Parts: sequence; structure tokens; C-alpha cells
Amino acid sequence: MSNSNVPSKFDVVVVGAGPAGSSAAYLLAKAGFKVLIVERGRGAGTKELYGGKIYAPPLREVWPNLDKEAPIHRWVTTERLSFVWKGRVTTLDFKLGRRVAFTTYLTEMAKWMADKAVEAGAVLVDEVRVDEIITEGGKVIGIRSGPDKLYADIVVDAEGVNRILLEKLGLAEKINPDTVALGVKEVINVGKKAIEERLLLTENEGMAWLLMGDITQGIPGGGFIYTMKDTIALGLVLHIGKAYEAAKSGALKDTVPMMLEKLRVHPYFSRIWRDADVLEYGAHMTIEGGLRYMPKKLYMNGLVVVGDAAGLLLNTGYTIRGVDFAVYSGKLAAEAIIKAFENGGPTEENLSLYEHMLKQSFVYKELVKHSGIVKMMEDPTFFTKLPAIVNGMMGKLFEADYEEPTVLEALLESFREEEMSLTRFLLKMFSVVSRL
Amino acid sequence: MRIVVGIKWVPNTQAVRFDPKTGTLIRAGVPSIVNPHDFPAIELALRLRDNYGGEVIAISMAPPGAIQGLEHVLGMGADKAVLLTDRKFAGADTLATSYVLAKGIEKISREIGPVDLAIFGHETIDSSTAHIGAQVASWLGWPYVYYVRDAKLVGDGVIRALRQTEKAVEEYDIKLPAVLATAIKALKPRPVRLSYKLRAKLEKPIIIWTNDDLGLDPRCTGLKGSPTIVANITWMPEVPRKKIVYKPKDPRDAARWILRQLFTDEAVAPFLRKALWGEE
Ligand SMILES: Cc1cc2nc3c(=O)[nH]c(=O)nc-3n(C[C@H](O)[C@H](O)[C@H](O)COP(=O)(O)OP(=O)(O)OC[C@H]3O[C@@H](n4cnc5c(N)ncnc54)[C@H](O)[C@@H]3O)c2cc1C
Repeated sequence: MSNSNVPSKFDVVVVGAGPAGSSAAYLLAKAGFKVLIVERGRGAGTKELYGGKIYAPPLREVWPNLDKEAPIHRWVTTERLSFVWKGRVTTLDFKLGRRVAFTTYLTEMAKWMADKAVEAGAVLVDEVRVDEIITEGGKVIGIRSGPDKLYADIVVDAEGVNRILLEKLGLAEKINPDTVALGVKEVINVGKKAIEERLLLTENEGMAWLLMGDITQGIPGGGFIYTMKDTIALGLVLHIGKAYEAAKSGALKDTVPMMLEKLRVHPYFSRIWRDADVLEYGAHMTIEGGLRYMPKKLYMNGLVVVGDAAGLLLNTGYTIRGVDFAVYSGKLAAEAIIKAFENGGPTEENLSLYEHMLKQSFVYKELVKHSGIVKMMEDPTFFTKLPAIVNGMMGKLFEADYEEPTVLEALLESFREEEMSLTRFLLKMFSVVSRL
Repeated sequence: MRIVVGIKWVPNTQAVRFDPKTGTLIRAGVPSIVNPHDFPAIELALRLRDNYGGEVIAISMAPPGAIQGLEHVLGMGADKAVLLTDRKFAGADTLATSYVLAKGIEKISREIGPVDLAIFGHETIDSSTAHIGAQVASWLGWPYVYYVRDAKLVGDGVIRALRQTEKAVEEYDIKLPAVLATAIKALKPRPVRLSYKLRAKLEKPIIIWTNDDLGLDPRCTGLKGSPTIVANITWMPEVPRKKIVYKPKDPRDAARWILRQLFTDEAVAPFLRKALWGEE
């Protein structure tokens, strides 16, 4: 067939129409670059799956009208953290003083971001997978998809956590199962009114609820509950390396879908979505957190790496943050690319500005600051003993038949039951905290 | 060879949910897709073009949302697309739809170049009538073969269509212009290609014709041109599930348990006994 006037070269090719790719594409198209986004899903957002909460301030720097225009479901006004242990549940409930994060479906949000990029002049080609980032003499010159090649002055790799292209390019190592987690999620059709009544929310108010304890059956990770407009997202995040070990050794009783099923029918939580149908379920890989997933370099001659592909995800157990980091890295990449072109082109030297800017930004600082917490959350002393001890102590305090123990007695007793000495616990905590 | 291939933009019926209270389908928010049974037709059209030259034109009578589906077909390698869209076409049964499609094909013949072949899918997933190919052929007065698995040109202006029935493979030599309808899953469709999809996005080779362009009598299109009356729809009653979970010790135990459940179920047992032992 005739391929008459179709260009074989763009200024910028962005791989992946996720939050990272679309924010970079939007800013670059706005600055006058000819931008092509290539996305393998049918439309932007269709391959996305995440938990449910996005931090707004970094996004507002890219789209100042975010609050008015984006498909925001609810502003998070309540944060909850629950320790779940053998039918006992201890919950911390925090009412926020201001709006910093909102809930939404990432499918909707990613589509909105991609639409913004297209409005600004970027071309989005969906249903096409990029198979390879092509180089010539150590310089990235474009992409290949099936038999087709397309050239670009610079390629923005925004392919997400499963960075097959970067692996082929030799910029990232093969995935180590200890650095990634499996997320599974169900969307439950609870209905707007029921959500608000059952979780004590008013219109537009939302809840982010993280769960720790035996729901993950000894595997580092946790659960989440997010309120959307009329549905609830319920899910689990599990350390893949540890889950694999546990399954191989026979320590793991249930399959992952069964674990999620058990959480859904948990007597304490299930009342929230009683009588409601599961609308959909899905799974997605994510990064365990910290800096271990970051490639050694985030740029090379003709290439920058943004978002999850760059390892920019914070997973502390009580919060999981990737979308705003992805967007912000896309913004920094766009700024660095614009600067690079002003200074003669996207050479390795000029693009090093991107990594420099990223390392100065809140994104990298957050990752460094919390890297200790991430390690701590993988330590069984914390993710299993903590929920056990907290609930043990609460049980002793409130389930006494006649004589109530003092708080200290209850605490010591529950430590003893978990075969843990308070001093050892504190020492361990101190050693981790001092490394934070 | 100029080949027209028919596309229907249908709600993904797998995602359509049923509201047991009102007895209606919940279509809101259900994404639309290219009718899956159209893909063998698209693939056949593209293969014939690749072998003999010419062009493939995808045609659809649909609301403007179908452009997304047409872009998919262009991404596979179709050369052009024609969207027949007008409020006057809405609510059409197969008669009114095939009429508009046939008139669209005639207009393509007049204005773009003579159409040699029109190919349709077996049926659509949202209505399962399998009427369209036959009806378009009737309107055009062209020969028609359906259940086609493959086709090739033999001699001057003659196409040989392979048709597989339960017991035999039949070959029909028919004179062009003609209409074919493919069998379900007859051919594996090719994937979308970057260069083709890019061309679809940049050049937008989609011609949009409303009824102002076609000039059809509005009494023959859409709801007005549709003699079909859906008198009543009876939904299959929703069977209340018992949701029993039984953890068998071994396969033998599982088999026993299932049999016990079936033979002690008032609603099932009589049928089972009758089927197995002819007992009344
Ligand atoms: C279970 C779970 C819960 C999470 N919860 C939260 C949360 O509550 N809040 C939060 O902020 N973050 C959360 N995250 C993290 C968040 O989803 C990611 O950090 C974010 O989506 C990263 O954006 P990205 O643009 O880098 O990559 P992605 O969003 O993964 O986008 C990558 C895109 O590239 C496309 N692509 C990949 N390879 C190719 C290719 N070869 N060719 C063409 N296209 C390609 C993909 O189809 C995809 O559309 C969660 C993640 C998971 C898995």
C-alpha cells in the first residue's frame, strides 16, 4: 500500500502512553516539538492497573487546571491504616486537614493525560507495540515495531515497570524477583450512597485505607481499599520473590486469587461491600520500592527514561506512590530535552541534565528518605510481628473478663506471646530507623 | 481489484451486563469493538489485495464513534474507509442497514472506482442475524457465497470461493462483481502495523458520507425503513446459584459428592434418572 506522506521521522518518540509518557509528550508538544506517542494498548490507559490514590501537587505543575478538568473521583479526606491479625483488627483513622490527593481510575486518568498531549499536537498511535529501541554507533536513533522503523532525535522510554526495551538495550538488568511486587485488585460495585453511608464520607470525600497483617499470609506486602465515585477498589500487593519462595516451600496455603477472595469475605471488611458485585478484577506488576529498581543511568545519547521504567516508585506499606513521580519525571525530562535542543541537541552530555534535575527533585529525595522504611517493611519483625503485637495488646486491654492489665503489662504479654523481646524489637527498630 | 469490506462497530457483548430487576441489558460504559467475526473478512480482503493488487475499502454504517474501529482496520492495512453516518440511519434493522450499505457501495463504484468484490463477516456478536451479506448481494444483484474460508482469482473476472461444510469442501466459481461472507474464525487476522496506523492518524483516509451525500429516501433507512418488529424478548431466567464450596479429599470423593448433590436435587434428579435409565 502507499505510504505517501507519512513521515519516517519525528523529533520525539515516546514509548508508552502512561502518566510518565503523556506528561512528557504534552509538555514537548506544547513547546513545538513534533511528538509521536506509541502505545500498545487499545487507547491510552487500557493497560493500566493501580491502587487508587494520586497526589495532586506534582500534577498541577504540569496541568494547572487539573482540579477542574481531570476525572477526579473523590478527594481523600480520610486515611486509615489497619493491623489485621486472626480476626482482630486495630485501625488508625486520620482525618486530613487539607486536600492533597484524590482517587480515580488510572484508566480514566491516563486517557485524560494522553488526550491533553494530543490536544497539544502530539500524535498518539495506539494498538502498536514497540519491539526495540534502535541504536547506531552508541546513539539511539529511533524505534522498531514489527517490520516498521521510525526515527527520532530523541526517544522517551516510558514503558513502565516491565522494561523489556531497556533490558534489550542493556540499560536495565533482567528483573530480579526480589525487587518487584504483584498487585491484584477487584473493583466492587458498592454504589455512591452506600460508600458514603458505610464509610462516613460526604459527597466527593474519599478514603484511602491500607491494611497490614495476616491477610498476606506471611508474605511482605499489604492490602488496600480505595473509594471511587461509586465503586470500591480492593487489592493486595505481594513481594514476588518471597511469595515464590513461600509457594515453593509449601508455606503458602492459598493462591493469590484465593488470598484476595479471603480478604473480600473477611467478616470485618466484607460488610462494607455487602450485597455488591465484583465488576472487574485484574493484576499488574509493581516495584517493591526504594532505589534498587533504578537503572544505573537514566539517559544516553538520544534517550531518556521516565516513570516506573526509571524505578521511580515509593512503596512503604502504608502508602504507594508512582503516578505523581511518573508525571514529575516526565516533566523534568521534557524540560531537560528542551534545554538540550537549545544547547545543540540531545547528546549524552546535554541529557545528563535530566538525571541531575531528577536527583535534585522531591522525587529522588523521597525515595532516598524512605529507602529504610521499604527495607523495614520487608522484615518479618515488622510486617508480621507488628500487626500481631498490636492486636495482641488490644485484645489483652479490651477483652479482659474481670481484671484489665495495664497498657505496659498488655504490651509485654503480647510481645512474649509472639516470642519477641521488647528490647530486641526496640533494638532492631532503632537499627533500622537510624539508617533512615 | 477493488474490495469493499463491511465492518460493524458493536458493543463488546462480553462486557454487557444484565440487570435482573428490569430485564434489560446495561450497555452504559461498555466499550465498543470491531465485530470479531468481521476479522476473517478483513483478512481475506487484505490477502486478495496483496496477491492481485488494488485496494481495500472498509465500510461501516455507524455513529461517528466507529471511526476508532475503522482506524483499527486501516492500521491492519486497509487503504481507505467509508463511514456512512446520519441520524436518519439510526434504529435500522438488517433490511435498512443492507440498503444503506449497498447504496454506499454503489457510490464508491461511481466516485472512487468500480467495486469488484464485497466481503462481510459471518454475523455480528450483538444480533447474530447473518443477514447482511445476503441482503447487500440482493440489493446489488450480485452473486453471493457464504461460509467462505478462502478465495482466489481464476481466469478473467472469476473468483473461486472455498466453502467448507460439515462433510465436504465446496468450490464455487463466480463472476465478479460478487459478495462473499466468511466463516467464523476462517482466517487469522494480521496485527496492526505502526506505519499503517500512523498513516491512519495523520492522513485520516476516512470518507464520511451522510444522507445528504447518499440522497436516499428516508422512508427506506433507519427505523422508518425497518419492517422488523421485535414483538417481545424473553430473557433466560437467572438461575440462583447455591454457592456451595466443597473440599473433596480426592477425585473419587469429589465425584461421589457431585452425584449425591445431583440425585438429591428435586429439580435435576428426575431428568437424570430419565436420561440414564428411562425412568419416568
Ligand atoms: C497494584 C498497584 C497499585 C498501585 N497503587 C498506586 C497508587 O495508589 N497511587 C500511585 O500513585 N501509584 C500506584 N501504583 C503505581 C503506578 O501505577 C505506577 O507508578 C504508574 O502507573 C507509572 O506510570 P508510568 O507512566 O511510568 O508507567 P505505566 O503506567 O505502566 O505506563 C506504561 C505504558 O507503556 C505501555 N507500554 C509498555 N511497553 C510498551 C511497548 N513496548 N510498546 C508500546 N507501549 C508500551 C503500556 O501499555 C502502558 O500504557 C500502583 C501500582 C500497582 C501495580
